[in-house]
Amino acid sequence: MSGAAPLLRAEDLSVTFHAKDSQVRAVTDVSFEISPGEVLAVVGESGSGKSVTALALMRLHPRNTEITGDVEFDGMDVLAMSESEMRAIRGRDIAMIFQDPMTAMNPVFTVGDQIVEAIRLHNAVSSKEAWTRAVDLLQLVGVPEPQQRAAQYPHEYSGGMRQRAMIAMAISNDPKLLIADEPTTALDVTVQAQVMEVLHDVKEATGSAIMLITHDLGLVAGSADRVQVMYASRLMETGSIDDIFYRSQNPYTKALLESIPDLEEDQETLAAIPGNPPSLTRPPRGCAFGPRCSMAIERCVEKQPELLTLGGTHASRCHRASEIEVEVELEGAS
Amino acid sequence: MTDVADVSPYESHALDDLSAGEPLLKVRNLVKEFPIRAGVFRRQVGSVKAVSDVSFDLFPQETLGIVGESGCGKSTLGRSLLRLVEPTAGTVEFGVEDVTAASKKRMRELRSDLQMVFQDPYASLNPRLPIRDIVGEPMVIHGVPRKEAKQRVGDLLARVGLLPEHGNRYPHEFSGGQRQRIGIARSLALRPKVIVLDEPVSALDVSIQAQVLNLLDEIQDEFELSFMFIAHDLSVVRHTSDRIAVMYLGRIAELADRHTLYDEPAHPYTQSLLSAVPVADPRRERSRQRIILQGDVPSPAKPPSGCRFHPRCPIAQEKCVTEVPELREIAVGHQVACHFDLKPGETLIRRTEELGRTVDIAGR
Repeated sequence: MSGAAPLLRAEDLSVTFHAKDSQVRAVTDVSFEISPGEVLAVVGESGSGKSVTALALMRLHPRNTEITGDVEFDGMDVLAMSESEMRAIRGRDIAMIFQDPMTAMNPVFTVGDQIVEAIRLHNAVSSKEAWTRAVDLLQLVGVPEPQQRAAQYPHEYSGGMRQRAMIAMAISNDPKLLIADEPTTALDVTVQAQVMEVLHDVKEATGSAIMLITHDLGLVAGSADRVQVMYASRLMETGSIDDIFYRSQNPYTKALLESIPDLEEDQETLAAIPGNPPSLTRPPRGCAFGPRCSMAIERCVEKQPELLTLGGTHASRCHRASEIEVEVELEGAS
Repeated sequence: MTDVADVSPYESHALDDLSAGEPLLKVRNLVKEFPIRAGVFRRQVGSVKAVSDVSFDLFPQETLGIVGESGCGKSTLGRSLLRLVEPTAGTVEFGVEDVTAASKKRMRELRSDLQMVFQDPYASLNPRLPIRDIVGEPMVIHGVPRKEAKQRVGDLLARVGLLPEHGNRYPHEFSGGQRQRIGIARSLALRPKVIVLDEPVSALDVSIQAQVLNLLDEIQDEFELSFMFIAHDLSVVRHTSDRIAVMYLGRIAELADRHTLYDEPAHPYTQSLLSAVPVADPRRERSRQRIILQGDVPSPAKPPSGCRFHPRCPIAQEKCVTEVPELREIAVGHQVACHFDLKPGETLIRRTEELGRTVDIAGR
């Protein structure tokens, strides 16, 4: 990962929502990098801050939001940019795919027109040229009969087709970074497989980096290069896909992996995590996972653990990270 | 604390003549169609065939999983068993009694034995009622004395992992997982025999999902319950169910015990579905071959002729277009609705290749 300059670098990124008489820190001191062509998965449960992190990178956030830290994209300081500079990047260099394509698309324009708009916003091409490109893009993402389908409205598309159209729109300007926020959560499993395949093909064809935000560890296992796990607004662990799945040194990551029912193995009882995630308005003083953690000691209640590097890109936020035994790797066995 | 599993004065006596080994529920040729109306006069212009000719048994204390993608009719099936939607045709026998022929009054009595837990813990609890009323309401309706009901509410809340004093709070004060526990406590209030669980954990985060699944497992043993577990998540269904029915567009495609279904799926749809599920294990993911089905699930308002899976099936033949495959038994307890079912150990990929066709496979 080192050597080549990262495409995106976030440092101590924090996002706070201010309400009338309370504030919610949705993202706390998150630092990470994405290299060109890399797939970085951000996993976490609802409220962990994974989507807010992505929206902050795009500077798509509601008013009364305070963003601190540094975000550098392709050598540019994202948080210092003017709104018009930002608009030039958004949709061209960084594009986003949302969970629900029905609400993310405009219902009164045809799918083709919407892709044309995305293309012409950033390129000086005629609408005819843009239309041809839109049809090509729909073909690329596997929309059958793209000529006719381009002239249809979003409601005439099925969920899976709409998500393909969203991907077509997102890649219309060959973005360097594609942020996919729960891109398949609303889809059925056979359609999810189709859409993930399209994303994979798109990555191969365009070489863009992908930030995949999801709660589904299965999806991560099949598609990511690197993973970062978030919990209660903070990064808990980050590392290569094998670091996280086989050499995790964080109790939350391990507990999360163990709580998933297996498709192929029998399990007597599931290793559930007791309790509930903490409230973000009144976060605990120490480790946010402490109250639910089977390894918690007094120190975890009192002091927030730092994200400590364990070697290479692997880092874990846990006072007892070094005590966690790592599965002995058996080559070829699984 | 009294043993909550133990009191049962409100039962319907529908099972009194049931002999051992007999199914609790016998569902036969169940059909549910919803009319599609259009125009000024709301004339019926068609119908959505949500459930078509579905038959199965549910045995005492077993969990029957019903899996399928959205629109396959699994939720409608669950609801029509309890007559929360009125079935169009077919019968549901609970013990020796025909539920579909029961009067309104009798149905109310039967519902003390047949309960339901819904998917959305936010929508299925009345926001204006405190928890003790939500959980206690079924008992009040069925004439349990208030004092006893109050006592039982406290016991039930404790049993599902809440505190008795939570009874005074309102639904909005609880998290999704806690609300689902409340829904489970309510379903247990009348000491039912069968609970239909409609996607009980799909709105929950994984860490909470495991808690609720374990709770369901415990109460099933303790209250000697039969579950019908409706879900789209095949890993969850495998974990919870003894037998599993796979539905596609309103019909059962395959039904078998869980090991047979997951190890030797005979229906092309079951095989593709299982191969499409991502597994949280990168090594296994790298070696897996994923069958990518073409297209989407067709609309249940215009289901394809013959086998409803044929437009997406890589091994479909002429016969599949014209003839509806019956659900037939290919081994003891293993039923499949396919004219050209896959044999044990045979993969859909190999069968497709033998036919000289190609199937879209993803795998890295």
